Amino acid sequence: MNPALVFPDVSLAPMLPILICLLGAIAATLLGFYVPRRTVTLVSLVALILSGASMVTLWDQGLSAFAGSLQADNVALAIGLVILLGSVMTLLVSLGSASRARLAFPEFDAMLMYAVTGTLLIAFSGDLITMLIGLEVMSLSGYVIVTLQDSRRAEEAGMKYFLLGAVGSATLIYGIALIYGATGTFNDLAIREATAGLAVQNVGLLVVGSLLALCGFGFKVALAPFHQWTPDVYGGAPTSVSLFLSTVVKVAAFAGMLRVFGGALQNVPAWAGVMQVLVIATLLIGNFAALFQTNFKRLLAYSAVAHTGFLALTLVANPVNGGPALVYYLLVYTLMTAGALAVVSALQRDESGFSIEDMRGLFYRHPGYAVALAVCLGSLAGLPPFAGFMGKFLAFKAAFEAGYVGMTIFAVIGSVAALVYYLRPAMLMFMPDRTPAREFSGERAPTTLAVAMAVVGVTVLGILPNLAYGWVANPAIWTVLAGR
Amino acid sequence: MIHFFIFLPVLASLLIFLVPVRWREEFAGAAAGLTLAGGLWSWSVGGLSYFSIPWISALGVTYSVQMDGVSLLLGLVTAFMSLIAVIYAGKRVPKPGTMLSLILMMETGLLGIFAARDLVLFYVFFEDALIPALLMLAIYGKSQRMPALVKFAAYTLLGSLFMLISIIGLKFYGGSPTFALADLQAHPVTGPVQTWLFLGFLAAMAVKLPLFPLHAWLPDFHAQNHDSGVADVMGTLYKVGAYGLFRFALVLFPDAMLELRPILMALAAFTALYAAWIAFSQTDWKRLLAYAGLSHMGLVGLGIFSLNETAMIGALFLLAFQNVYTGALFLATGMLQERVGSLSTRVGGLMTQAGALSGLTMTLWFASIAVPGMAGFIGEFSILLGAYQVSPWLAFFAGLSTIAAAAYALSAYQTTYWQMRPAGAVIAHDLRNLDWLVLGAPIAVALFFGIYSGPALNLVQPVVRAVMSGLGSGS
Repeated sequence: MNPALVFPDVSLAPMLPILICLLGAIAATLLGFYVPRRTVTLVSLVALILSGASMVTLWDQGLSAFAGSLQADNVALAIGLVILLGSVMTLLVSLGSASRARLAFPEFDAMLMYAVTGTLLIAFSGDLITMLIGLEVMSLSGYVIVTLQDSRRAEEAGMKYFLLGAVGSATLIYGIALIYGATGTFNDLAIREATAGLAVQNVGLLVVGSLLALCGFGFKVALAPFHQWTPDVYGGAPTSVSLFLSTVVKVAAFAGMLRVFGGALQNVPAWAGVMQVLVIATLLIGNFAALFQTNFKRLLAYSAVAHTGFLALTLVANPVNGGPALVYYLLVYTLMTAGALAVVSALQRDESGFSIEDMRGLFYRHPGYAVALAVCLGSLAGLPPFAGFMGKFLAFKAAFEAGYVGMTIFAVIGSVAALVYYLRPAMLMFMPDRTPAREFSGERAPTTLAVAMAVVGVTVLGILPNLAYGWVANPAIWTVLAGR
Repeated sequence: MIHFFIFLPVLASLLIFLVPVRWREEFAGAAAGLTLAGGLWSWSVGGLSYFSIPWISALGVTYSVQMDGVSLLLGLVTAFMSLIAVIYAGKRVPKPGTMLSLILMMETGLLGIFAARDLVLFYVFFEDALIPALLMLAIYGKSQRMPALVKFAAYTLLGSLFMLISIIGLKFYGGSPTFALADLQAHPVTGPVQTWLFLGFLAAMAVKLPLFPLHAWLPDFHAQNHDSGVADVMGTLYKVGAYGLFRFALVLFPDAMLELRPILMALAAFTALYAAWIAFSQTDWKRLLAYAGLSHMGLVGLGIFSLNETAMIGALFLLAFQNVYTGALFLATGMLQERVGSLSTRVGGLMTQAGALSGLTMTLWFASIAVPGMAGFIGEFSILLGAYQVSPWLAFFAGLSTIAAAAYALSAYQTTYWQMRPAGAVIAHDLRNLDWLVLGAPIAVALFFGIYSGPALNLVQPVVRAVMSGLGSGS
């Protein structure tokens, strides 16, 4: 009667992208003893590109490992590619600015690669535990990266990030525990089936668990009122790190939310209503607080909060509509935010960024960077022909068609405020100015490459959105996520 | 061919930075001239037919364009005035490369607005034209431009985002497969939802008409723009609200427009009269012209909202030709500023030194105040005639604005061009070389179509008839 020894469902192929990243991280850790930092960064870049290549080969195969705990479905791959894009841009920017930011040591690359491994794990997660492990790997590495620079500002930012991030993680874990208590499983699909028709024994437990999970994720993606740490951390961390946090880490947190709320908890009541309130609060607080910023980097931090609101519009919609909108928006958001922060990182005198007033006449001193920054800001503001418009259009459309008309109207009001605060710096750059330059003229080839990627990406994806949207628009991808 | 017509200017606006600095004026002029030639050619072959391919097939967004009838007339006027603006900018603006590029970029946005037959595409072009307009103001504007910029952009975007929501809702509630106008028309939305969606659409168009109380951006926008008036020409062309209402709202929200007709007509008539009243007390030529333009647009709005065939034909005709003479008046103001260094309406005595400039400016003002024989008269007369059949009192009130126009225009003209030149003032030189063309060509157009309006009316009339007959019991 001995049951046959069951081997765990281990298959290497779906894990390959994550393993390559992990190998890159280990290599960065070890190589740091022998070769200069620049070589380590190049090795990490190669690892990221190889990981991306492996994702492309896995496209449309729908593989999974560990009995569904790790999903290499198209959703995971699409988000994974966005994560890798953000990571590549971070590394490029850090190549140009790390020595000035006093971050030019291999540990930076190592921690960054561990964080990327964690983010990929979230995107590929098929159950809550995998997701949680990924989230913790990402967060712990993130706390370290923020504090790596030897300065009081960075230490303060890191401390805030750690304390509030820990609260968020704890809340999330508690929520997951309650969801497990209600359904008896960690697996996304199994939770979904167990909650179909709300046939679980303790609905209250499930609802409280899902709300706690929402709060936990709220901390991670900076949904108001859990956004308080964002401006301080993004503003206080070195700019290349802010770039990483506001793009890659946010993308990963949204991937987690998509898996949990768009997949596992789709049948659970109450969270959608609460999320609606949070999204409206985020749209208003993020956008209107950004109106009063005088430091450009801090403005971008508030803009990251505001974009969380726009991104979260897609989560309340049906995943078939909201999913592709979310992925497209995340891709565009990564490009434009990374582009803007890359320019900041190249031109700032120190890591606190520069004030908006100092941007006057930038066009006449650094025409290339100024035009690129204007393109990124135009895209962030949602002006066509740049891709930010299509992202907003998709998000509005998803929310509207899900019946959240009021929310889209709040999004419109937020967008108008957003235009005002993006417009001011963008237009100041083009106003002639006779005072001496107040920025560092740090045009470096790798940073310029990252900026060029952003500008080309934002423009091409704005004019031909189908290049990216066509890949994820197939509803079949999203019904798998939704388990139908 | 139609893509050539729409996208040639933007292509040139990018390529101009590769052209050696000394040849940029000629390059931009050639591009604008070629675009106009393309427009004239398409007029000679009877317009450019419908072209549609999927743009984002998963969303039902199409790239659908057509250039005929009203669109062609407005497109031709846009191409013509852009060419005039390019010529004057090349002569007047120092180091004009950027300005020329922005004019051409904006021209593509405007031509796209008139050609688009898909609502999302329309939105994209509508916003595309905003970016060069903002940059012109930012680069070449005056000291108080930042508040003007923010006001202009915020008004535009607030309106257009509500329009975007209503576009989304139109497809969602109507169940149309695409955003193409033809498909949306085949899947109409009815009932109260239509009214709400119309209000969203109206928000954008009222900002760009502009209609009281959403006009506040206009005077600052014009007053803060470059003295030459080139940016104002493009800004005048950008007042596409009436066109959008005619092309899209009329066929998509007929019931809502009929339901709200009294309110909208009253607002338009009030805009016409109120703007004329304010224009009377302006002492800056650009602000005066801004309010004069607003007053005209109130009349255009009255014609569109009256849902009467005659009035609508007149409104579209006036919309097209007021672009010509209001634009030319902005350039004439630019020439005035070039000579006396001021935009004040109290300069005095210019007629004695710059007779030709004064004379041509007066001719343009005659066009603007609807003297018979100029194109403005036909438009304003048809509007009032048609609106009278719908609402005699509102037509009467709006008609007062044409009298007020004569008052504010001529009194400001008198204190600038007649009276005494102050002692010791600089000698103002008269028109030179290209100045003649810049003012003369628009006058020629306004005169020609004022006397022989057939060709232009032939573009407008059939389209209006077709739209009105599609409405059934429209009026």
